[in-house]
Amino acid sequence: MRINEALTKLEGITKQLEKNDLPLEEALRLFEQGIALATKIKTDLDQAKLHINKVIENAEGVFVLEKFDLS
Amino acid sequence: MLTIHLLMTMPKQRIYSVSELNKEARRILESEIGSLWLKGEISNLTLAPSGHTYFTIKDATSEIAAVRFKGSSTLSSLRLDNGNQVLAYGRLTIYEPRGRYQFIVALIQPAGLGALQLAFQQLKENLNKEGLFDKGHKKPLPHYPQRIGVVTSPSGAAIRDILSIFSRRWPAIQVYIFPALVQGEAAAYELVSSVALAERFSHDKTPLDLLIISRGGGSLEDLAAFNDEQLARAIFACSIPVVSAVGHEIDFTIADFVADLRAPTPSAAAELAVPDHTEVTSTLTTLVDMLGKRMTSLIEQKERGLQTELKEYIFRLPSRQMETLSQRLDILLATLLRLTKESWKRQKQRQEGLTGLLRLSDPRLPLQRGYSLTFLAGSTTSLRDSACLAQGQQIETHLLKGKILSQVEEVIDS
Repeated sequence: MRINEALTKLEGITKQLEKNDLPLEEALRLFEQGIALATKIKTDLDQAKLHINKVIENAEGVFVLEKFDLS
Repeated sequence: MLTIHLLMTMPKQRIYSVSELNKEARRILESEIGSLWLKGEISNLTLAPSGHTYFTIKDATSEIAAVRFKGSSTLSSLRLDNGNQVLAYGRLTIYEPRGRYQFIVALIQPAGLGALQLAFQQLKENLNKEGLFDKGHKKPLPHYPQRIGVVTSPSGAAIRDILSIFSRRWPAIQVYIFPALVQGEAAAYELVSSVALAERFSHDKTPLDLLIISRGGGSLEDLAAFNDEQLARAIFACSIPVVSAVGHEIDFTIADFVADLRAPTPSAAAELAVPDHTEVTSTLTTLVDMLGKRMTSLIEQKERGLQTELKEYIFRLPSRQMETLSQRLDILLATLLRLTKESWKRQKQRQEGLTGLLRLSDPRLPLQRGYSLTFLAGSTTSLRDSACLAQGQQIETHLLKGKILSQVEEVIDS
C-alpha cells in the first residue's frame, strides 16, 4: 500500500475511534489496525530510497529508461 | 535632335518590354542588395484578409513599402502598430506585376532596448486574454506524489538541487527525468518535445502525479526558451499538474504564468512538490497519540462502569467485609489510574518513536491489571449487563492468559 493511502486510512480509523458508542471489541480491532498502519508507514518512510530514471524515446517510439546517477 | 543623337550613339541598345524591365530590375536588386536589416517607423499599416500585413517603413525624409507575409515571422506574437519603431530583417525586391519596389519582411522586432521585454509583454497579454493563465484552469497538486517527472537538462544545476531536496525531504518517490536543452536556439523546441514526451509516458506507460519544468538562473536571454509561445501551450494542454521553476526568485517567465504552480527556484519547486517526512512522522505520532488517548478514555469509562457494578454488588455483603472490599477497590483503581497517567506522561515526554505510546494504550492493559472480559459462550460481544443472562447458561471469561468456561448459577440484577 502506498504511504499516502496508509495515512488516509489511519486518519479514517482515528475518526472512527472518536465515536462514543463503539463496543470495546470494535475499538480494539481498529486500534490494532491503526497501530499496524502507523508502524508500517514509519518503516516505509525510514527505508524509502529515491529511484531516478532518465526517460527517452527511441526511433521506434518505445520508451527507454536509463538509470540516472547524480555522481 | 536628342532622340536622333541617342539612337545614333547607342545603336545596339536593347529595347525592353515592361515585363523584361521589371524582371531585370528585380534581379539586380535581389542580387546586389538582397537581404538586409532595416530600421524605421511603421505607418499605413493594413492587415489584408489573406493574413498578410502591408505597411510603410519610413524615416524623416523617405519611405519604402513593406509586406509581412502571414506566418513568416518567428516572433509571431509581436503586434505591429503605426508609429512603432522597428528593426526588420528582409529582402529588397520588386513586385513585378505593378513594378512596385518593396521590402519583404522575414523577421520584425521592436527597435532599441527592451525589444525582448516588449515581445514578452505582448505574448503575456495575448495568452492572458486567451485565458491560459486563468485560475480556473490551475490543477491542484497532489499531497503525496508517488511519481514525479522533471523536464530539464540532466547535467544542469537545477536537477541536482531538485534531487537533493527530494532525497532529504521525501525519498519515497520515483523520479523520471525528461532531458531537454534549457538554453540556446533549440531549447524551446526540446522543452516542448519533452513536455509532450512526459505526457505520452504518463498516459501510455507510468502515470505521473506531477511534472516539474525547470532550469537554474541565467541572463534574460538564457531564460528566453521559457517564454516561448509553443511551450506555454504545451504546458497549458498538459494533463499532469505542472510546477515551473525557472531561474532565480526575481525571474518570471511565460511558463511560470501558465503553470499550475510557480516556484521561485528549482529547490523551492522540490520543496513544494513533496511533503517533509519529519512533518509526516510528527503527524503520525499525533495520530497514534489520539488513538491511544481515545482507547485509554474508553477503558477508563469501562472501568468506572465496573466500579459501580462492583460497589452495588458488595452492598449485599456483610458491612465490614463490604467496607474493606470497597476501600481496597477504590485504592486499587485510583493507584492504577495514577500510574497509567504518570507513565503516559513520561512516555509522551520521551517521544521515542511510537512503540512506547502504543504499549501504554494497549487495551489489553486492563487484563494485565487483573480485569477480565466475559462473553456468552459462542458470542463475540462482551457482556455488559447481567440481565442478558439466565441461569444455566455457559459463559466464557477471557483473562490475560487463557479463559475460563463457567455456568451461570444465579443472575443478580444491578
